[in-house]
Amino acid sequence: MQPALKTTSIKQKTTQVLGISLEDARISKSYLSVAFIALLLGGLLGLLQGLNRAGVLQLPPWLNYYQVLTAHGILLVVVLSAFFTIGYFYAGLSHTLGGLLPKVRKMAWIGFWMKIFGFVLVVIPILRNEASVMYTFYPPMAASPMFYFGLVFIVLGVWMLSFGAFTQVANWRRNHKGEHLPILAFFATGVFVLLVGATAFVAVEVIFMIIPWTLGWVDGINVLLARTLFWAFGHTAVNIWYLTAVSAWYVVVPKIIGGTRWNDLLTRMVVIPLVIMNITGGFHHQIIDPGISESIKYMHVFMSLAIGFPSLMTAYAMFRVFERTARAKGGKGLVGWYKKMPWGDVRFLAPFIAMVAFIPAGAGGIVQSTNQLDQVVHNTMWVVGHFHLTLGMSVVMTFFGISYWLVPYLSKRVLTPAMNRLGVIQTVIWTIGMVIMAISMHIVGLFGSPRRTSFTTYGDFAEKLGWNPYMALVGIGATLLLLAVILQVYAVFNLMFFAPKGTTEFPIAEEEAGAEKTPYWTERWGIWVVLMLLVVSMAYVLPIVDMILNAPPGSPPFKTW
Amino acid sequence: MNQFLFGLVLLIGLMLPPVARLMESVMIIHMHMQMPMLVIAGFFMAHLFLQRYPQFFNKYNQNGVPGILLFTIIMAYWLLPRTMDEALTIETVEIFKFVSLPFLAGVPLRDSWRRLSKTWKNNVITLFTVVFLGMGWLYIQSNDQLCNNYLVIDQVILGWGFITMAICMVIYLIYIFAVDPSQYE
Ligand code: HEM
Ligand SMILES: [Cu+2]
Repeated sequence: MQPALKTTSIKQKTTQVLGISLEDARISKSYLSVAFIALLLGGLLGLLQGLNRAGVLQLPPWLNYYQVLTAHGILLVVVLSAFFTIGYFYAGLSHTLGGLLPKVRKMAWIGFWMKIFGFVLVVIPILRNEASVMYTFYPPMAASPMFYFGLVFIVLGVWMLSFGAFTQVANWRRNHKGEHLPILAFFATGVFVLLVGATAFVAVEVIFMIIPWTLGWVDGINVLLARTLFWAFGHTAVNIWYLTAVSAWYVVVPKIIGGTRWNDLLTRMVVIPLVIMNITGGFHHQIIDPGISESIKYMHVFMSLAIGFPSLMTAYAMFRVFERTARAKGGKGLVGWYKKMPWGDVRFLAPFIAMVAFIPAGAGGIVQSTNQLDQVVHNTMWVVGHFHLTLGMSVVMTFFGISYWLVPYLSKRVLTPAMNRLGVIQTVIWTIGMVIMAISMHIVGLFGSPRRTSFTTYGDFAEKLGWNPYMALVGIGATLLLLAVILQVYAVFNLMFFAPKGTTEFPIAEEEAGAEKTPYWTERWGIWVVLMLLVVSMAYVLPIVDMILNAPPGSPPFKTW
Repeated sequence: MNQFLFGLVLLIGLMLPPVARLMESVMIIHMHMQMPMLVIAGFFMAHLFLQRYPQFFNKYNQNGVPGILLFTIIMAYWLLPRTMDEALTIETVEIFKFVSLPFLAGVPLRDSWRRLSKTWKNNVITLFTVVFLGMGWLYIQSNDQLCNNYLVIDQVILGWGFITMAICMVIYLIYIFAVDPSQYE
């Protein structure tokens, strides 16, 4: 095996010196293009929703609020996030593992077209108002079967990409015996393991429950079981996007500020428990669902808060890295060191604001995991405010920050100072818009304004009219956000096709000098996967068997819109 | 010492009456969470015993087989529906549970696991896989109430718990047989 080892390490060197190969770059560029087109469309729909709820825009009958909302949810939380995650990690695998293998490239393309095909199948019924079921598609609301077939292809595409990533990683490890997987590839492995685990649940829901039911092969569907399977997926998906953002916080941001990474072992110890314990968190979306006993819900709060622990560790780690780097550059004082941070660099500013947003976002998440508090905010605009903080700020702003170096890296161009300035302006507008929108959503949610509800004055009922000023603020936030979306999408396509040629580095921070060697057991992915399966089966067997054996008669399909 | 304390705190936590009652109120949690956690508590506490009395373990558990045999007997005992029932109704049996699982299963497991050869380890896992499949089948298909304290639906749930655990062990065994670590490490 000696020669093979040599060739790959030479290949690894060449990719690091010459930059990414054109074929690998094309894969990631395609994924990122789809992601940012989805952002543009989704943002536009978001503006329509914001203006509708502000009471200034009446949507026409051929494009009703729930159609728009379904498309907005799917475009942003499924398409944008998944395509960005895949484009980013495939670029990362190519960069850190010495270029993608030809067969992995082929798998990436097959996966790409399966996802696109599935997506087209999903969009057609939405446009025809035959699938206004929101992105959660809860039964007994039933969309046209085409919508669900589309979902199946999207899942198959995800599996193709995950197995592509595993193939790449396994090949690298075979050629680098006893070495640790480079940290970004380690994150990627965790993310793809979770993607397979999460989508397995939704695949069962769609293939074995919903499709036979919408085709009329069976009369009824077990609503509670379907919701449970959905949230095992939905919750994990969102956490995957978060883990993707976190990977950039640990690996990329320290390099951009000129520092070193946080402890390697502890970084890997953030990834491993997040992979093992994540899926079971799905139950915290069902705190108000009837049919799940209190003691089960209580135990699941434990599991949810257990995932909070690695997040707290992340907050600590990040601030430690910042402070250490700033002090090394001569920063002084208890808090005075913050002046040494590169505030004018969008590649730092955007992910930094993303991290700060996670503080209120995480606090809100703990509120929602608490049974009594969730009774107040469940299904209100509060929740919408919450996930625009977590996704719309923590995750997406990190993705934006990444795009300002990843896109030029892929297109072999550079980020000019002018484009950087545009990025900073974009970041500021997005931040202001999202903060206005999220805060007013949280407040009006506390007053009881429901989510997923087109504008209404409730027959001019006085108390409900009091919600309107906050809804007007949502509209204002939405307008600012669309402006920021346009700037962001412009920046991405400019960097992809028009910016000056040159070389851009893939920023990966080194370990701290004199760091201890990470023990090898962190690499035993087979064990982590078996542990994940064990935790999942311990958590799900009881409620699911109970839901099946004590099920009420199944529900027929309904079209509520 | 740290490990011993962790195990001890875990054991005491599990023995607190409200915690014990909550866990024992659900059959599957009683068997698949409380009992394994008791074993885990013993596993951690074993750290101290192995340090203090190495000669004892060297003498009586030279190749690890006696220890794993003791572990297996204790585990098999607690797999019986009858013993679970008695733990809830007879106080001494409950105490025996809190003593036997950590000290007669957890401690020997830790000492034996490092001594056993690979084949032995895989055989032990295979044995438990088969036993779990059998127990799962027993609990799922039995229409009679096997415990006074738990309903038939609880039994069925526990049965599926055994089956899913067995599936996880099968996946682990496949992983062990299919993946040759010398190719990667
Ligand atoms: C252009 C910026 C954005 C604006 C103006 C916006 C606005 C809105 C509004 C007004 C709602 C509807 C609330 C309701 O009636 O329940 C909503 C829902 C939602 N948004 Fe956004 N949003 C934006 C960006 C994002 C981003 C970046 C994401 C995620 C990555 C996202 C994910 C969602 C999701 C998942 C829903 C819930 C859909 C549902 O209830 O089915 N949004 N958004
Ligand atoms: Cu969640």
